[in-house]
Formats: sequence, C-alpha cells, structure tokens
Amino acid sequence: MKKRSSAYYTHPLKWLLPMLAMLILFYLYPMIDVIRYSFTNVSILRPTYRYTLDSYLKIMQDPEILHTFYVTFTFVFSNVMAQLVIGMLLALFLNFGIRNRYPMTIAVRTVVLIAWMIPGVLVGIVWRLLLSSSNFGIINYLLEVIGFKRIEFLVQPPVALLSVIIVNIWRGTAFTMIMEYAGLQRIPEQLYEAAKVDGAGAITQFFRITLPLMKPILFINLVLITIYTFNTFDMILALTGGGPARATEVLTLSAYTQMFKFFSMGTGAAISVILLVINMSMAYVYYRFILSDTKGVE
Amino acid sequence: MKRRWSILRILIFYGTALLLILLFIGPILWMVSLSFKTRTEIFAYPPRLLPETFSFANYLHVLTNSRIPLYLYNSFMITVFAVVGNLLVTIPAAFAFSRYRFMFKNKFLFLILMFQMISPLIISIPLYRYFVLLGLLNSHPGLILIYITIQIPFAVWLLKGFFDSVPLELDQAAIIDGCTEFQTLLRIILPISVPGIATVLVFNTVNSWGQLIIPLIFLNNIQLYPISVGILHFADAQTEGEVTTHFMAVASVMGLLPAVVIITGLQKFIVRVLTAGSIKE
Repeated sequence: MKKRSSAYYTHPLKWLLPMLAMLILFYLYPMIDVIRYSFTNVSILRPTYRYTLDSYLKIMQDPEILHTFYVTFTFVFSNVMAQLVIGMLLALFLNFGIRNRYPMTIAVRTVVLIAWMIPGVLVGIVWRLLLSSSNFGIINYLLEVIGFKRIEFLVQPPVALLSVIIVNIWRGTAFTMIMEYAGLQRIPEQLYEAAKVDGAGAITQFFRITLPLMKPILFINLVLITIYTFNTFDMILALTGGGPARATEVLTLSAYTQMFKFFSMGTGAAISVILLVINMSMAYVYYRFILSDTKGVE
Repeated sequence: MKRRWSILRILIFYGTALLLILLFIGPILWMVSLSFKTRTEIFAYPPRLLPETFSFANYLHVLTNSRIPLYLYNSFMITVFAVVGNLLVTIPAAFAFSRYRFMFKNKFLFLILMFQMISPLIISIPLYRYFVLLGLLNSHPGLILIYITIQIPFAVWLLKGFFDSVPLELDQAAIIDGCTEFQTLLRIILPISVPGIATVLVFNTVNSWGQLIIPLIFLNNIQLYPISVGILHFADAQTEGEVTTHFMAVASVMGLLPAVVIITGLQKFIVRVLTAGSIKE
C-alpha cells in the first residue's frame, strides 16, 4: 500500500476516547476480572467471596466435563467440515449461475443468506417445530412419505446431537458460501481459458487452479467459522436447551448453566476462562495469518 | 450434441436451484402456513400444506392476549438506541484510524478485532456484578451499553474501510477552506460514506434484534424482555400446559419478519460486509 504522506492530523486521542472508554469498561476490564473470579467461590447469591482453586478442581473432577468437551468438539468439527464443503459447492453453483446469467441465482443467494441472518433463537424454535414428532412436524411426515420410519429427533441423545449439527449447518453455511463466492470471482477468467486450451477438464481445473488460488481465503474462512461455531449458543439453547441428558450441551451452554442456573459463578468463571483461552488462541492464529498474508502482498 | 448438453445443463441448474430455495425457505414458509392454521388443522394427519382459510384470528389472538407486542416494542427501542449509540462512538474512532497517524495503529486495530472473536458470555459474570452495584441490572440502558460495546470492533473496521476510500485531497481542500477537523468529518467524509454507514446500520440492527445471551443474563423482569428472550419464554411456557403451536408459529413469524424484510431488501449491503472484511489485503 502507498504510504499516506498526507495523513496530517496528530493527537487522535479525543476521537478515540469514547470507544476506548466503552471497550475498557465493558470488555477489557471484565475480561481480566473473570480470570480473577475463576480463582474464587464468588456467587450471585452473596456479596463476599474468598480465593480458592476449588472451581478448577471441581471442573477437573467432574466426569461430565469430558463429555461436554466431546460434544463441543463433535459439534464444531463436523460443522466446520460440512460448511466448508457445502459452502464451496454453493459458491461454485452461484459462480456458475452468475457467469451464465441465469436469473434464479440471486434468489438462491438470498434464501441461503436469510437462513444465516435470522436470529439464532428463532432458528432454534422454528426447527423445534419442524423436527417435532407431532403431526405438524413436517420432516417426520416427509420421511414417512419417502418410506422411512418416524424419528424422535430431539429425544434420543445421539440423534439430538446430529439434529443440532444439521440445523447449524443449515444456518451457518451462507457465510462460507459468500466468502468463497467472492474469492472465486477474483480468479482471472484467463487462467481457466488457458487451462481449457491445454485440454484440462472441469475437475482438473478445480483442483489445479481454483483450490490452490483459494487457499488463503479458505484458511481465513476455516478460522472464522471455527470461532463462530464454537461460540454458538442461542440456536442450541432454543432447539434443545442442551438436552436430552446434556447430549447437546456445548461448552458455552455449560458456562451459562453453571453461572445462571446453578448460581455457581466460580465454576462458570473457570469455564469462561477456558472459553477465553480457546477464543484467544484462535484469534491469534487468525492474526498471525492475516499479518503474514499482508506482508506477502506488499 | 453440444446443444443437447447445454439444455441438460440448464435443466440441472434450475432443478438444483429450486431444491435449494425449497430447502432454505421451506422451513419459514411452513411456519407461515402453521401460523394461519386452526388448532384442528395443526394436528390433522396427513398435514395439509396450506390452511383451509387464511384467517388472521391467530395473529389477533397473539397481538391482544400475549406480551409479544410488548417484546417487539422493547426490541425496537433497544435496537434503535444501541445502533445510534454505536455509531456515535465508532464514527469518531474510525475517523481517527483513517485520518491520523499514531504509534501502533495497526496493532491497535487488530487488538480491537480480537474482541469480536470473544464470546460475550465470557465477560458476563464480572459485568453482572458491576451492574448490580451500579443499579444497571434489569434495565434497558445497561443492556444498550453492552450492545454498543460488543458491536464496536466490527463497526470500526467497516467504517474505517469506507472512510479510507474518501480521497485525502477532499480533506485538504476542506482545510484550505478553513474547515476544522470536526467540520471535515461532518461535511466531507460522512456524506460520501453514507453507503458505509447504512451497511453498519443494517448489520448492527440485525445483530441487536437477534441478541440473546446478553438480555437473557441481564434481564429478569418479563416486562423488559426483547423479542429474542420473550419468544423463548413464550415457547417454553407453552410446553408446560396448553397446546398452542399455532400461536408459537405466529410469534416466530412476527420475530422473523423484520429480519427477512431487511435481508431481502438490503442484501447488497450484507454481501458487501461479508466480502469486504474477510478478503481485504
């Protein structure tokens, strides 16, 4: 980038001050404080507290915690993989449609985006009705029509987890689709034309041209959707509430339950610290990648 | 031969397109259909695609016999204040990042971006305790302050990008004409950046409208609930007793409608946000 020789103002502090005040008061300070709280037995129910390692010990001894980690990992991993692949297929589909000027392409983009933009809590409630085993549960009816048995989607633990994963794929894939679609549009048409002259088919073109050129975008995309999926809370709360029998309780839900259902703020704070460490490490990976990427460009 | 292939290709394309549209909009249309059905129609087997008559009785019932209108009103007020408040804080900051030179500017920008990636759940325990002390718990102003803050990183980044695209020559001309920094921002940069501000507006509106964790934690007075928490409350209350699926569908449609209208109408802005932030070199 060109150096801005003409960036002429100095003393930006007065412009930054309102933002800094908000960020420090409502974000940074609480973030540091939560670490302190994780070493206490603090609770909503009483004002005083003392320092202790109990919260961490309690988490480590809790047999359920491993299960929560397992649920979180399964949820995040399968979502990220599915969203990357399906998002790419959708992006290729959009790209194909736009290049050929097929009029329905924008409609497809719009409906996928709608699924992404509607509030997570509503996604959860809508799908709770769709997956219901009552007569209004349309999915079960459709299953019957094509010759399958009815499924109690939200009652059986493994099936419930699978349902939560699928609903989140339905909801989240738009982000990947748009990012990769934008990436596809930046690949020069000439490259494909040259490949065609050399006799390369569509599949070879995809693996030799598209995929290598999309690598940086795919990586950023991967990191971002991992973070987003990891922080998912509202949709699961509305769809299953973490049940049945904690089968869909991801780490964020666990933290919430500890804090505001069991009023065990110390334990909640300790889980928050774990969340914080995971969030920060992913943000750091993102930061390092962007940094090395921009250096490469300049 | 070639011609036949291209016809086949068009058929495959439109077939897939229809399927995708059905897959993504179908659930919402089903909700709309349920919201118009009578109680008997809801439980009819086999389920009917459309209700017998499109009567607004369910809507009337929810509008007059539930707190849903109150929730919608609360959401509206919170969203307006949060979005305006956010712009008041982020426009000056983005101006500083775009037009000033200072140490660690880029590091600082990335530090702000980090906040974006940290779940608001993490800060909720300390904030809860402060709010108890300050008397901000269970109040809309307290809620709005948090909403403003958690949307800062995204808004600053986006606005900075838009301000950067306003040529510096315009600033210089303004200064020569005797404008102060504030006047330059107000009269030169902001009018040109209207699309950028609109983009931030759209995104923050949708995010504030759908925000769940914060109000769930910081409000326990049912009268103050926004639609996100209200509808969850409404849905959980119905499983305890009477069967009111059709009313739940009505409530869902009412909650969905603003989001769907915004997304369909202002899709251009949304696509721009998604692509600008992530692929910028």
